[in-house]
Amino acid sequence: MTKYILTRTLRSLLTVAIVFVTVFMLLRLMPLSGYFPQEILKETDEATRMTYLRNQGLLDHPFVQLWRFVKNLFQGDLGRSLTVYPKVPIITLLKEKIPVTAAFGFASMVIGIVLGISLGLVMVRFKNNWGDRLGTFFILIVRAVPSIIYLFFIQVWISKWFDLPLVFYKDRPESWVLPTICLSLGSIAYYALWLRRFMVDEENKDYVKFAMVKGLPKRVVWKKHVFKNAVIPLVIYLPSDLLFIISGSLVIESLYAIPGTGGLLTTAIKSQDNNLVQVIVLMYAVLSVIGVFLGDLLVAFVDPRIKLTEGE
Amino acid sequence: MKRIAALVLVLALMFSFTACQNGDKNVNANQTTEPVATKTPEEISNAAQEITDAKEYKSVYRTSFNKSYASFNYFSTAYSTVRSIVTNCIDGLVEPDIYGVYVPSLAESWTANDDETVWTFKIRQGIKWVDHTGADTGMEVTAQDFVDGIRYIGDPLNDAYSLRVVRNLIEGLYDYYWTLDDIDSGEVADKTREEVLASFDNTVGVKAIDEYTVEYTLTSSAPYFLSLIESSMLLLPIEYDYAIELGEDFGVDNEHMLYCGAYYISAFERDKAITLTKNPLYWDKNNVTVETVEYQMIPEGTTSLEMFKRGELDDATVEAEEYLSMKGTEWEGKLIPTERSLSTNYLWLDFSGANPEFNTFVQSENFRKALQYSLNREAIASLRDPVDPQRVLRATINAEGAIYDGNGVDYTDYAPLKAVKDTDYNKPELARQYMEAAVAELCDENGNIKGIEAGKVDYLPVGTFEVDAKLPVTVIYVGTDDENEIVMAQLMKTMVEEAIGTDLIDFQIVCFSGWTYGTVADPYNYDIYFDSLSTGYADPSGILTRMTTDGAENVGGYDVPEYDALIDQALNAATFEERLEKFAEAEAYLCNGAYVIPFISSLRGYYMTNCMPFTSPLTLYGNSKFKGALVMDKPLTYSEYQTLDAAYEIARTDALKNAD
Repeated sequence: MTKYILTRTLRSLLTVAIVFVTVFMLLRLMPLSGYFPQEILKETDEATRMTYLRNQGLLDHPFVQLWRFVKNLFQGDLGRSLTVYPKVPIITLLKEKIPVTAAFGFASMVIGIVLGISLGLVMVRFKNNWGDRLGTFFILIVRAVPSIIYLFFIQVWISKWFDLPLVFYKDRPESWVLPTICLSLGSIAYYALWLRRFMVDEENKDYVKFAMVKGLPKRVVWKKHVFKNAVIPLVIYLPSDLLFIISGSLVIESLYAIPGTGGLLTTAIKSQDNNLVQVIVLMYAVLSVIGVFLGDLLVAFVDPRIKLTEGE
Repeated sequence: MKRIAALVLVLALMFSFTACQNGDKNVNANQTTEPVATKTPEEISNAAQEITDAKEYKSVYRTSFNKSYASFNYFSTAYSTVRSIVTNCIDGLVEPDIYGVYVPSLAESWTANDDETVWTFKIRQGIKWVDHTGADTGMEVTAQDFVDGIRYIGDPLNDAYSLRVVRNLIEGLYDYYWTLDDIDSGEVADKTREEVLASFDNTVGVKAIDEYTVEYTLTSSAPYFLSLIESSMLLLPIEYDYAIELGEDFGVDNEHMLYCGAYYISAFERDKAITLTKNPLYWDKNNVTVETVEYQMIPEGTTSLEMFKRGELDDATVEAEEYLSMKGTEWEGKLIPTERSLSTNYLWLDFSGANPEFNTFVQSENFRKALQYSLNREAIASLRDPVDPQRVLRATINAEGAIYDGNGVDYTDYAPLKAVKDTDYNKPELARQYMEAAVAELCDENGNIKGIEAGKVDYLPVGTFEVDAKLPVTVIYVGTDDENEIVMAQLMKTMVEEAIGTDLIDFQIVCFSGWTYGTVADPYNYDIYFDSLSTGYADPSGILTRMTTDGAENVGGYDVPEYDALIDQALNAATFEERLEKFAEAEAYLCNGAYVIPFISSLRGYYMTNCMPFTSPLTLYGNSKFKGALVMDKPLTYSEYQTLDAAYEIARTDALKNAD
């Protein structure tokens, strides 16, 4: 197991390094004019633009820039934002934004799992009956209707009916309710849909039929066999949700004016904020490999049939 | 036939829209019990006073912003994102009063020499820099702080943005900046940075004559200098030692700033909330009526509108399409049209592009005029304002109501521009005639365009296009993927092809997703490109000198020596009136020759507010100030606005007369 973890860690580090260097170099292929907002580009002559780029070190050879970034990184300096939040230290930005997004992400993940699994169980329990139909209707709405429609409906009408604030306020807990619900809707639908499907699949397998024929109570069969086996494919995605927790949702954060990380990477890429893109990509890459790694470990833990090493 | 039907349908929809909304406007107007126009000036003033007296006022103003305030370093961040806050927190030398007449601010008085190249300001004594808690830092605002502002922006390492106007205007600043830059880039080795920095006081035209007198020496006559002080943040003061000590941290948040304006930033939560609190040490604190201004970041316009309706905000903007949805509701009578926009929308024609067909035709004035006369500007304006599209129309490059001469005459009313304004450009039959003249000039009898060959036009990354060197002329219009712009482009295509005829022109639309100016306009990857320009201060030179053959704003790449000569004459004119006359001639020359085609202003939409209008300084070129604002507990109605507006116009006319 130690050997597996070590090998996997080294491979993960290599993956992160490749992703990071590729993104770093691709950013240097972008046009120099992209470092300037349109209004500034029109206001500023070519020579002044070059002065600005030189001051930021953007005219240095890409390898020189890469070395400088890595060196600073190991000294704990993530650099400063270039264009999105000019001169603001990136560490400050992340410290401000990640906790907000993570709080919503974590709460919505918990709600998503609890309600999603509960709904899935209800749907299976009342298969082809009212519970199943209601659940299917909910899943259809969430997955088929463009999210902006129901999100907007929730924001304007639900807030009006329940006298809730339209936007998020840090010091008003009631304002956290709607964005959290909105964030968890997708997860609820996802877990409910797949749990129902996997449980229906398991239910029809021979070992379940055999257990039933043997006279085991249905509740025991469901709890000990059907549910346990159906939940395994879902477990693997749990750690990957780590990334979602801190990456946030552009639409929901925008709708509820949540000052989080939603859309930060997109904005940074569009504004050619190299420093910010590099740090976010590095962070996401690390979290992704950790997520996948933890997912594998978790599956091995919950499913005794799966072995991570050949010898075991 | 399909195209005609489509055009008719679009226009019919717009006209029905317009007719319908004009009806609505009357509904609004009918809310005034007695039409304002029938009252005497005294009755109007009394009615306005009654409205003002009947209101109850609050000390807190709650407003919103939709884009991040990236930094408060007023010298080195993009203007539009920071100016609206800084203008309330850092005072300049002068400020406009509620009628737009410049009055003392941090300067108690000022003088200019005869040719207006040397401006001297006497600074108010006892002004203190305060920190983000409103506490006195013990540092006083002196003449040296204004000198140091120029010193700060003059150093390329401080990354001051939008330097062009100020750097070119202040004597010696251009050379100072570029010498430092040459040293930084290694091009100059015989001087050191320290030597050049030390030479600032002797070489750059800004001096602290004494502790409270600052003098600017300019490279050319600048009768508009006071308006430049209003519009440019680069002429604001700075506590130099404090800023230098902070280095890159200067202005990154409210705690890394000092304040000398009506407010200080007492709270700042990035991308969420900003609170301005009245500066207890402000020199004019008796005229600061709002104690606290609470900003919230609300990225979605629909959310801020809903918050206004629920009484959670004191203002909200309303787009034209939202206006329609509010028709017949209780909010209809509270919608007020946005007053003015100094920004003009226009079409660039590319004189340097790779499309040989367009490139051949664009050299012909007949072709350019064919395009100019093919646009139904009112129909395009209806997309911005279906209720009153007329107010959006603009045929000149500089905005009306932005620049006045010493006699109070609007620059766009000078004869050459008045003629442009009075021209009816909606003449499709004339467009066809001009095009036929261009074809006769540039094509042979078989419709082959003379002097060019078929080939591929490379406008990458926008795209590549095949052209056959024959009629119809292929025109590539490149716009953004913004849905409003796409609709406008489609409308233009229909208009141009209907007016000129698809046998003579093939108008193709490309909706480019991405950085259009840097990728499309700057490298000439277009034939026609939609853009805008703003009148930045009270002089046409702000835009027009940038549109010369070698000008930074000549995105079309044209070569018009006649225009350049007129600009030179304007810059060397003996009087301000003569200067405006020559600028008007130059601007009219560009418009009449259709080198660029201005067609509408950026004016759009409506707003609702709890703020009593005309109580704050009239900042034509800068951002609005909260100083003097009166915030009501209920929204202003349109009929109240009309009365107040009428009274204001009467008072403003008197004020401008007295000012002269």
